Amino acid sequence: MLNQIGKLEQEVRAAIKAADDLGQLEEIRGSYLGKKGAVTTLLRGIGRIPVESRPQVGQQANALRDLIEQLLAQRAECLKQLTTGERWERERIDVTLPGRPVALGGRHPLTLILDEIKQIFIGLGFQVARGPDVESDYYNFEALNIPRDHPARDMQDSFYLSPQFLLRTHTSPVQIRVMERLAPGLPVRIIAPGKVYRRDDDATHCPMFHQVEGLAVDRGVTLADLKGTLSLFVREMFGSEMKVRLRPSFFPFTEPSAEVDISCVICGGGGCRTCGQSGWVEVLGAGMVHPRVLKISGYDPEDVTGFAFGMGVERLAMLKYGIDDMRHFFSNDFRFLRQFR
Amino acid sequence: MRISYNWLQEYIYLELSPEELAARLTMAGLEVESVAPFRDPLPQVVVGRIISLEPHPRSDRLTRVRVDTGTDLLTVVCGAGNVEAEKLVAVALPGAVLPGGDGPLEVTDILGVRSGGMLCSATELGLELCGGEDDILLLEGAVSPGESLDKVLGFSDPILTLDLTPNRADCLSVLGVALEVGAITGEEVKLPQIVIQECSRGIESRVSVAVGDTRLCPRYSTRLVEGVTVGYSPLWMQVRLLKVGVRPINNIVDITNYVMMELGQPLHAFDFNRLSGDEVIVRRARLGEKLVTLDGVERQLNPEMLVIADRAGATALAGVMGGGSTGIQPDSRDILIEAALFDRISVRRTAAGLGLFSEASHRFEKGVNPEGVLAAQDRAAGLMAEIAGGQVLSGVIDVYPEPARSRVVPIRPHRISEILGLEIPLEEVTAILQRLGFGVNKAPGFKLKVEVPLRRGDVELEEDVVEEVARLYGYEQIPATLPRGELMECREEPEQRIQEMIKEVLTAAGFYEIINYSFINPIYLQRLALPEGDYRFKAIPLENPLSEEQAVLRTTLLPGLLKTLQHNFYHQVGDQLMFELGAIYLASSLPVKEAPRERTTLGLAATGRLLAPHWAGQSPPADFFAVKGALELMFNRLGLVEVEFVAEPFPYLHPTRSAAVLIAGVKAGYLGQLNPEVAELWDISQEIIVAELDLENLINRADPVPRYSSLPRYPATLRDIAVIAPRELPAVELELCIREAGGDLVEQVVLFDVYQGGQIPPGKRSLAFAIRYRSPKKTLTDEEVNRLHQQVTLALAEKGALLRE
Repeated sequence: MLNQIGKLEQEVRAAIKAADDLGQLEEIRGSYLGKKGAVTTLLRGIGRIPVESRPQVGQQANALRDLIEQLLAQRAECLKQLTTGERWERERIDVTLPGRPVALGGRHPLTLILDEIKQIFIGLGFQVARGPDVESDYYNFEALNIPRDHPARDMQDSFYLSPQFLLRTHTSPVQIRVMERLAPGLPVRIIAPGKVYRRDDDATHCPMFHQVEGLAVDRGVTLADLKGTLSLFVREMFGSEMKVRLRPSFFPFTEPSAEVDISCVICGGGGCRTCGQSGWVEVLGAGMVHPRVLKISGYDPEDVTGFAFGMGVERLAMLKYGIDDMRHFFSNDFRFLRQFR
Repeated sequence: MRISYNWLQEYIYLELSPEELAARLTMAGLEVESVAPFRDPLPQVVVGRIISLEPHPRSDRLTRVRVDTGTDLLTVVCGAGNVEAEKLVAVALPGAVLPGGDGPLEVTDILGVRSGGMLCSATELGLELCGGEDDILLLEGAVSPGESLDKVLGFSDPILTLDLTPNRADCLSVLGVALEVGAITGEEVKLPQIVIQECSRGIESRVSVAVGDTRLCPRYSTRLVEGVTVGYSPLWMQVRLLKVGVRPINNIVDITNYVMMELGQPLHAFDFNRLSGDEVIVRRARLGEKLVTLDGVERQLNPEMLVIADRAGATALAGVMGGGSTGIQPDSRDILIEAALFDRISVRRTAAGLGLFSEASHRFEKGVNPEGVLAAQDRAAGLMAEIAGGQVLSGVIDVYPEPARSRVVPIRPHRISEILGLEIPLEEVTAILQRLGFGVNKAPGFKLKVEVPLRRGDVELEEDVVEEVARLYGYEQIPATLPRGELMECREEPEQRIQEMIKEVLTAAGFYEIINYSFINPIYLQRLALPEGDYRFKAIPLENPLSEEQAVLRTTLLPGLLKTLQHNFYHQVGDQLMFELGAIYLASSLPVKEAPRERTTLGLAATGRLLAPHWAGQSPPADFFAVKGALELMFNRLGLVEVEFVAEPFPYLHPTRSAAVLIAGVKAGYLGQLNPEVAELWDISQEIIVAELDLENLINRADPVPRYSSLPRYPATLRDIAVIAPRELPAVELELCIREAGGDLVEQVVLFDVYQGGQIPPGKRSLAFAIRYRSPKKTLTDEEVNRLHQQVTLALAEKGALLRE
């Protein structure tokens, strides 16, 4: 038994000497002095040895216990003082090793742009509305002042599901749906993001793409309000140095109508291939809601006015991120998607 | 619409450079897409005068030509037959690079004769002029040897390409654009001089006109020009036509096209002697009637279409295209010129119905100026007399029962500022409208009566007039303000917010959002091993798809997910985690009679590993439990507790690795490994996990607002328990059993180990749970916990899960 105590002492001395940090010292304390520790077990087993040996063994075991405590305290003190030297060296890591990977996916770049658009307009007091992808001829055309056989229908070659239903060619039908629902309530201030469809498929056109419609109807809404709203939007989206210009155009459901150009994001307005040397790129169509459209949706054009706009989300994303081919958006290539994490 | 800057200058004085003009037009709403010279310069090609011709000593087909090039007398060898002394020709000098040629021209030796240049044909100069293919281009007019050819033919003439909006039919002519430029700059427009000398014979003696449908043809006028000689048009006219994009054909046809381009009125020329009888009949086509049009195609007509007919039958498709048998031939002598107005919709339908679009139909469907008919008629007749040597019979037959009257639009000047948010002085408003050629009169009640000329059929309402004023005053003058008014709640609808959260959780879990087209190839549905009659086969077909790839609306997101996996495998991306949030389209019946249901659906797919390879250890696989974990995280975020995954086979999934997902007991979708046989159909060999969930129930039941519960005040006691249970006993039942047996004091149950094989008997597995016991009221004693744990152990044993020793 006494031999055993001697062996334990040797063992514990070596262990304490080899301990590099306080954690290890705690472990050593546990394995010798803990509930199931070696010294504790020894002391517990003292009842099984001859009575005459007990005092001596007890004494030595207790002495060992005190010794361990003492050694542990010394070593701890020693380790604490080692802080500036050897210890740090032993604990060195290679900080250039790559970090552990963290699982993180990403939103589609179109979603990122849509999120930004929504955020900006929500901040301007607009609500977000939605409409179905499959629309009736009425909502997609008739109610928007585009009667059958009107040449303006050529502007948008449509996918039909039946003579009556088609895939919406623009998000403008949501204007009608929202006004019908709210009329004659005021004010109406919504944006409506969504998918739209046209029969076109090449490097600059996809048969499905995304638009965001905007509509504000109230007493006293003006073209100047449209200009202000869109200027603010463009500056928030592309930076405060961006210039915005409205230029007269034509849409059957707005009068007056405008195309909205921004200074070219690629060349900054100096002229390049993207802007066709003009320094401007077209980003959206807009105008004052046509009185016939107001009327058909339940508002009195003598009493209220409104502005509306529609923007192509892909176009904005291409400008913002410098994407050169629209088809990337729908190929879902991970090498592309990972760039937007 | 292409406009020649030089041609435009014939009608209006232009102080603006072509680029400035383009900018001004663009800012007035006539977008100029590009300004570019008609042709690139052609250095080293000059005008030459033929001095003499001699036969080539060694060839019968070649001629040795002496030509004066202004500074030199050159000898050139030429093979064309139309060269004569004194003619003016185009001479390419050594060094010239011709559009169709291969490199700079050199002095060559042609069968022993040195040729110091080349006489050029139109084709060699890159011009589609008419004339014999091998003929040398002969020049006309006041040109002298040595002048550069590109200057003589106006190669540098800036061509403005206008992208006109459909409302501006009035600008589909050079004169129309000139009037618009006049409105912008204030310069006066000089109308073309129309000179016409009629002979004594009257037209009535030779022809009569009967219009059977004055709705579809409100105006029909004709003139007759006798004794013309059909030939090539003068070079200047041919070149002008080329500049605006029209191919010259012969002088008569060219004149009709020239006048259309100049004035905007489409014209048609009939060979009068090829018409049967002396009556021109305007009527609807008869059922089954046929007409071979000028392009040589036989067209099937129907009574919706308007034709011009003679006694024998249809001779032209009104406003669209003439007939082949009455078109101008080299021997045509007497020409009947048609200048008419046809109904816009009728022309549009006819053109669209036959897929036959022409410059004429393009103009008619957008609206032609009713007032310009006779001027165009006279202009063409005058030119035919002048150029083709015809005699114009006196008089015009003009069937015009209800002459159009110009429109008067009352406007209230205060509306201008109400719409624009900009005050424009009344004098300025009036001046702008007058520059546009609109009549402005004061009317009672501070109103203006604006009389709109007939050529501007697009201006109908007060708002239209406001736009005219605004665009010429300048949109750049409009200030930028923001709408004012009542505040509203602007947050997105709950439904949208839930979708946002889903995206948030899934991207945080490593998934990438994808967006696929809403249409798919119907064959993809066959590759899902769906049973016959499955609802997904009832996909709505597009009536006019662009390709089979986009032929039907998707009834499931699965094909899009699989296509995406496949695409990325082809590009060596082996680890993919993706989701799509989008609609599927379900029709209640086919063909569609009512709007289909658009169900917002969440689709997920995963394959490979969850994380990139790393030095610190292998990444976990993107397996069933990885996707389940992401879904559980999502359900948790949405506050959805009543979610169950129940083993269930699906045709396209691995039969023993698939589950139905139930939300509050209602099936919302599936999760599972793609059936390897299905994967093979998609050329996929890797293990794929897919899931699809309908979002309706999920959104309705979501409760994403976190609820606070007070933090525990007493310590918990942890106890582990390991049991051996039959393999087929679902783990979730054991967990439920633990909770039931332990009651409210069981705070948490975590399954931390599942093991089979080794010392575990076959058909069994070992499961180890960590149970956390806690009371909200006091610290549980060891005895209390022991008792609970004993109950749990007994309950598990009753289930067949025996304590593992």
